[in-house]
Amino acid sequence: MTNMNSEAKIEDFSNNVLVPEDLPTLTDIQFLSISPRYRLINVGVALGTCIIIAMILTAVRFQPFFSVPEQLTHLYPYALMGVTVLAILWAVYHVFADVKIKYGMREQDLSLQKGLVFRQQACQPILRVQHVEIKRGPIIRLAKLASLQVFSAGGEYHTFEIPGLPLERAEQLRQFILDHKDVSAK
Amino acid sequence: MASLEEQRMMEDAPDSSVQVDTGSHWQRLATIAIMYFTVSNIKGMAKGLIYVVPALAVTFNQADGPMKDYLYVGGAALVLLMAVSGLASFLMYRFRVHNQHIEIQSGVFSRKYTNLPFWRIQNVKIDLPFYYRPFKYALLVLDTAGSAGEEARIVAVPLHYAHALRRQVLVHHKNAEIAATEPQSNHGAALPSHDVDADEVVLNRRSIGDIVIHGITNNRVWILLGVAAPFYDDAITMVSSWLAEKGLQLNQLVGEQAIAWWQFGLYALVIVMMIMAVLALISVGGALFTFYGYTLSRSDDRYIRRSGLLNKQEVSMRASRIQMIKAKQDWLDKILKRVNLYFEQNTTVGKQVQELMSPNKLIVPSVTEDEVAALTVEVMPGCKLHRHDFTAISKRFIVHWMLMVWSWPLIGLFAVGFIASEWDIVMASLVLGGVLLAMLSLQWWRWGMAYDGKYIYVRQGRIGIDYLCFEPFKVQQVIVKQSVFMKRRKLASIVFVMASGSVTVPFLPQKYVQSIADKVLFEVESTRKSWM
Repeated sequence: MTNMNSEAKIEDFSNNVLVPEDLPTLTDIQFLSISPRYRLINVGVALGTCIIIAMILTAVRFQPFFSVPEQLTHLYPYALMGVTVLAILWAVYHVFADVKIKYGMREQDLSLQKGLVFRQQACQPILRVQHVEIKRGPIIRLAKLASLQVFSAGGEYHTFEIPGLPLERAEQLRQFILDHKDVSAK
Repeated sequence: MASLEEQRMMEDAPDSSVQVDTGSHWQRLATIAIMYFTVSNIKGMAKGLIYVVPALAVTFNQADGPMKDYLYVGGAALVLLMAVSGLASFLMYRFRVHNQHIEIQSGVFSRKYTNLPFWRIQNVKIDLPFYYRPFKYALLVLDTAGSAGEEARIVAVPLHYAHALRRQVLVHHKNAEIAATEPQSNHGAALPSHDVDADEVVLNRRSIGDIVIHGITNNRVWILLGVAAPFYDDAITMVSSWLAEKGLQLNQLVGEQAIAWWQFGLYALVIVMMIMAVLALISVGGALFTFYGYTLSRSDDRYIRRSGLLNKQEVSMRASRIQMIKAKQDWLDKILKRVNLYFEQNTTVGKQVQELMSPNKLIVPSVTEDEVAALTVEVMPGCKLHRHDFTAISKRFIVHWMLMVWSWPLIGLFAVGFIASEWDIVMASLVLGGVLLAMLSLQWWRWGMAYDGKYIYVRQGRIGIDYLCFEPFKVQQVIVKQSVFMKRRKLASIVFVMASGSVTVPFLPQKYVQSIADKVLFEVESTRKSWM
């Protein structure tokens, strides 16, 4: 079964000896940062969510329509505190983690670095790309940003996604992938 | 339809004479399809009503006299309704195979039109429900590479027509491949239909003994339990009355304090043993149900699996689409020296197919270790699963999981026990910690990977061992993971994302991971071979 594609034309074929040191390496990639607005949005969303939940809690606590059980009213300050702490942790995480999201391109693949403590670097060969999407949520759209989603046969869970790109850059990248001979050949 | 009926009359004629192309006229299915539609409607309704069944049963039991008659009438009406809807589905169903396209119109209220070109078909599955078998009809399931909803079912066609159509699809694939390298000359319905089945070689057969072993070593209980679900209640009543006859009163046993603890223990043991034996028997039954008469054969570049006791199934898969070989050996398999071998194709996300029936996984149940070697080499030439050069993962793996993950709940449990002076909780937390440590150590001991220049091998497992093997050029995406703690120790994890799922090997030396990642990417990007 491996010789399925071995009937390729002989003139296209080259099989020069490769020294392992000559292989292109992932560590040499020049990484670019995503838009700083992405971090701003995430921090904003974290704090905004916190404020909305706090407002709902307060509204329920003080509304005149029905009486809230005694035990729950006692919990009210703690709930507020809990929500605030979680939101601050969430925001602080984004402050430090979002600047670590970086992407890079080579002729044949795209790479993405992310993570604060648990760092990871994913590399998506363009040859294996099935389709590309630009995703823009309502808030992201306000900031003129976009995420680039690159789908392979690896399944939805492993969708390669570069978040927080300026729209022009996302479109540029999408075009780069679509124009790539491996994708456009099909 | 008439033309197909005629072909069915010429049952004994050689298969190659079957005209697959039905022309531009829409065809109707064989009448047996009414049966299929009715059965599948009833199944669909039963699935929807599964929660109502107890209520219905109670109503039925409590109803008396004329009320009961009404219920009978209602039930009969329901069945009749199903049959009518089956008939309607049958009447509304049309298909044609024309110009290398399969077209299907179906649906009573919401009409659906499917157009499936031959070149998009990935798998061809021939299903023989037991009520089709005496009449030599088949259900054809045509699967595409992509999304879940895109499969076509030709519900009832003569069996030899199903085979002919399958052959045509396969031949089309083959010709398309030749066309990729040579200038294409003739294309279309008049393909030279060289007989693909002629050079079919049987690679493996499973005897009843093998399948019984498979039933014992693998939990195949659910196959029959699923079928028997509506009869649980009756079964429990029957079993307890049978036990009562033998002088064993379950209710008494629990209620009465009089019996000695050892007596109770003995009873419990006996009951557990009995349940185990029954489960094993059911499991063997389940295994026989799906795997009876199992053959794996190769025909050209395809593997074909046939099996089934009542419902026969035939699944074929192109060799080039196999992403990964998995040899799974559980502890019981290890004692009996048997291995379950899986050839995995791409998984379609969002489509929950029962594992054994799935056309995406070709399973060869409970093969011997020698057969594993033969079959793996057959599928991936030169591959050697059982090797000694696996690069082991670091012991830090154990430390990481113990400290970062399990220590928190364990310390919590320990603290609760200690503060409350509940020594059994303290003991439990210690024992749990010990068991976890042992499990992690086993996992660390097994986990490793190797690369021989052609294939990547992964060994993993705790008590049982799984061996994986795949070709690096089929990788979809490579992910290198490294926490800040791992970086300090110069360790890294690697994830290979394949179309059949992802494979992770954690805590390998950083240098090794980087070189493997580079090599795999180079392999993918330089060979430019298709993963399908």
